[in-house]
Amino acid sequence: MTKQYSRFLTVCFCLFLGGLLLWHIVLPDRDRSEVENRTLAQVPQFSWGALVDGSYTAAVEEYFADQFPLRDGWTGLKARAEQLIGKELFNGVYLCGDTLISKVEVPADGQVDKALSYVMRLSEKTEIPVYLGLIPTAAEIWKNKLPAGAESWDQMQLLEAAEATGLPAVDFESALAAHAGEEIFYRTDHHWTTLGAFYGANALLESLGQTPLSQSDFTPEVVSRDFNGTLYSTSGIHWLTPDTMEFWAKEDGLSITSWRTGEARPGMLYDRSYLEKKDKYSAFLGGNQPLCVIRNEALPEGEKLLLVRDSYSDALAPLLAGRFAEIHLVDLRYYRLPLAQYAAENGIDRIAVLYSVQNFLTDQNLVLLAQ
Amino acid sequence: MGVSVIFSSLTFLFAYLPVTLALYFLVPLRWRNWVLLVVSLFFYGWGEPVYILIMFLSILIDYTHGMLVEKYRSDDRKARWFVTQSVIFNLLLLGFFKYWDFLAANLSLIPGVQIPQFGIPLPIGISFFTFQTMSYTIDVYRQDAPVQRDMVKFGAFVTMFPQLIAGPIVQYKTVAAALEHRVNTTEDFARGAGRFTVGLAKKVLLANSIGALWEECLAAQAAGTLTAVSGWLGLLAFGFQIYFDFSGYSDMAIGLGYMFGFRFNENFRYPYLAASVSEFWRRWHMSLTGWFRDYLYIPLGGNRHGTAKTLRNLFLVWFCTGFWHGASWNFVLWGMYFFLWFLLERYLLRGVLERTPDAVKHFYTLVVVFVGWGIFAMEDLRVCGRYLAACFGGAPLWTAADGFRLRSYAVTFLVLILASTTLGKDAWEKAPEKARRVLMPLLMLLGLMVCTAYLVDGSYNPFLYFRF
Repeated sequence: MTKQYSRFLTVCFCLFLGGLLLWHIVLPDRDRSEVENRTLAQVPQFSWGALVDGSYTAAVEEYFADQFPLRDGWTGLKARAEQLIGKELFNGVYLCGDTLISKVEVPADGQVDKALSYVMRLSEKTEIPVYLGLIPTAAEIWKNKLPAGAESWDQMQLLEAAEATGLPAVDFESALAAHAGEEIFYRTDHHWTTLGAFYGANALLESLGQTPLSQSDFTPEVVSRDFNGTLYSTSGIHWLTPDTMEFWAKEDGLSITSWRTGEARPGMLYDRSYLEKKDKYSAFLGGNQPLCVIRNEALPEGEKLLLVRDSYSDALAPLLAGRFAEIHLVDLRYYRLPLAQYAAENGIDRIAVLYSVQNFLTDQNLVLLAQ
Repeated sequence: MGVSVIFSSLTFLFAYLPVTLALYFLVPLRWRNWVLLVVSLFFYGWGEPVYILIMFLSILIDYTHGMLVEKYRSDDRKARWFVTQSVIFNLLLLGFFKYWDFLAANLSLIPGVQIPQFGIPLPIGISFFTFQTMSYTIDVYRQDAPVQRDMVKFGAFVTMFPQLIAGPIVQYKTVAAALEHRVNTTEDFARGAGRFTVGLAKKVLLANSIGALWEECLAAQAAGTLTAVSGWLGLLAFGFQIYFDFSGYSDMAIGLGYMFGFRFNENFRYPYLAASVSEFWRRWHMSLTGWFRDYLYIPLGGNRHGTAKTLRNLFLVWFCTGFWHGASWNFVLWGMYFFLWFLLERYLLRGVLERTPDAVKHFYTLVVVFVGWGIFAMEDLRVCGRYLAACFGGAPLWTAADGFRLRSYAVTFLVLILASTTLGKDAWEKAPEKARRVLMPLLMLLGLMVCTAYLVDGSYNPFLYFRF
């Protein structure tokens, strides 16, 4: 190596390291990452106590990584490199042609029985009938799309265990499986599409003994052709065609109340402001909230339904709104009053505990059902 | 336990390293040992600030003992006593932090014995730096190295961050001259930067990727779905992970050494090309085997005092080699496993191996070594037993999930196998000068970029040698 050439290599190396450091310093810190849908770590506060116990340096590392220049670009580059060497699983997400499907991990020992027992306890505590609806994810319904030999926990095990409890069940599995050839899940997001939720709504109505809805009851409207969902973010696979998102229901005659901060505020069936953001799925009912009530002024004498929700219910509830006097959506992650008491006080006729299988297996708040 | 600055972290690469290099090369020559000492202490304190005290203690005690050995050079009894003191101090340090809980737990199994366990986190790199500082006083005593009278230079040796936490174990005599006077050339820096990048890629792209497969196989074992094929895939994965992790780390250390003007000895010489188990150990973690040879085996008499003593010495060396890797019975067993193979090769198989075709010898060596990795990797010996049983026919041969694994890791395995041989290196050396000159910076930047992408994605960045 000549001196000149060595100098050139040295400059390459130092420019790469030092350049990114400078870029990092100059780049203004971001509060949150839209793509990752989370707040980012900020410059940590120094204290001797934090230094001694090691939490200060840990916080610096986290800050440095979170605010790294071109964070999303690097993640995309990694995914491309992995694809190049034949990987089919990207951070827990399978790449199945033009579709991303989240892998369901084997649940912890006893988790299935424990989660089901909380629902049983709720049904014992209240006179109101409790329905259990577990929504299988794409990894079950679309398992023939998974790469050959790709592992994902068999969700039928949970559905069979749920049936064995004797609780009245909502058969989402059959309803979705019957339409597996249609676009019932997003390709880049873990949720069901409005079409999937429509089949889900009919499964629920059927188990409640009501006549099913027809697609002609609704006026589907394409509201976005540019939806990159959660699986787009976690996998780092940024090269698929974005999803199309539809709104079906009309807000006429409905009054929606949201309790986001403990106070009642007017809510929206579809909050279109989210369509301008990355997290478009939150447009349905305006996303996660402790409590949301949809009143149907046209049907004051109808039934009152309480849904114990996860985010799948947000796409479902607007479709059901026309059939009930009131639909109450309670999120156990944020709503801390006893559920049985809430149902009694609000004159609820039926309770449906609706969870996607993935959330049902991992949510730590199901225990609150039993209080 | 806090996170520590490891070489393959964003904070190290893009904050610590550029700032350190800038400081080091901006100050006048006579201050460079100072800078090295300060940045090394900072590096060490980053993960566990309190443990900087151990560094100070180590520097102080070994420095003083080196001086005392030198002072009483003419009185061998006293000089010996000071060497012994220093060795005892280092062994106590290592013993307390690394082995106390293990010994306490095992001794407490004896009825009537109750020894408390502390559960103190292991100071990073303690197995490496205690061995390095021990070598110093011994070298001074043996007059293999001059005494170091400057505490800053000595401190820079003890704490030198490139090899502080994962080796190679640098014996004092190999850097003694460079501490006094070293020449920093651009050629060395460029060579070091290249070597560092290679090491980083080995660690981040190869070791971490294949490590995920090992985790998967281990999980399959726990879930009862392990097949014979995935069992062997897992052993291969772990063997490759530990080799590329550790040798990648050594490459980074050696590369950093070049940048700062030090020459560290090589730590690996294509170990998976060995044609016998003994040869494997002459190619694997050479700074550790060298240390045990120089400071344990030979002082005990080596092979010069009859078969019985030779056997005892070999036993001790293999026991220590195993136990050095971790305070757990599986590491002891792992050491004993190689002790047995070593004896077999030395006394029984020598003739047989001479007449065996090369391909068979390589295959035999790899099987022995990779089964050994099974013992190494699984601390719970019952898990280990069941895992190995599955590999040897105690489980179905194959399921569809194995096809998925093979597909997902086929390219990675191919690269790992090629990288374990000298093929890449030979091809590089045979390439025309012009091609190399064009490719070198491109490969370096590509390597750095892809590593950065993997680190930013960073869901998976454990470091295997933290237990050491």
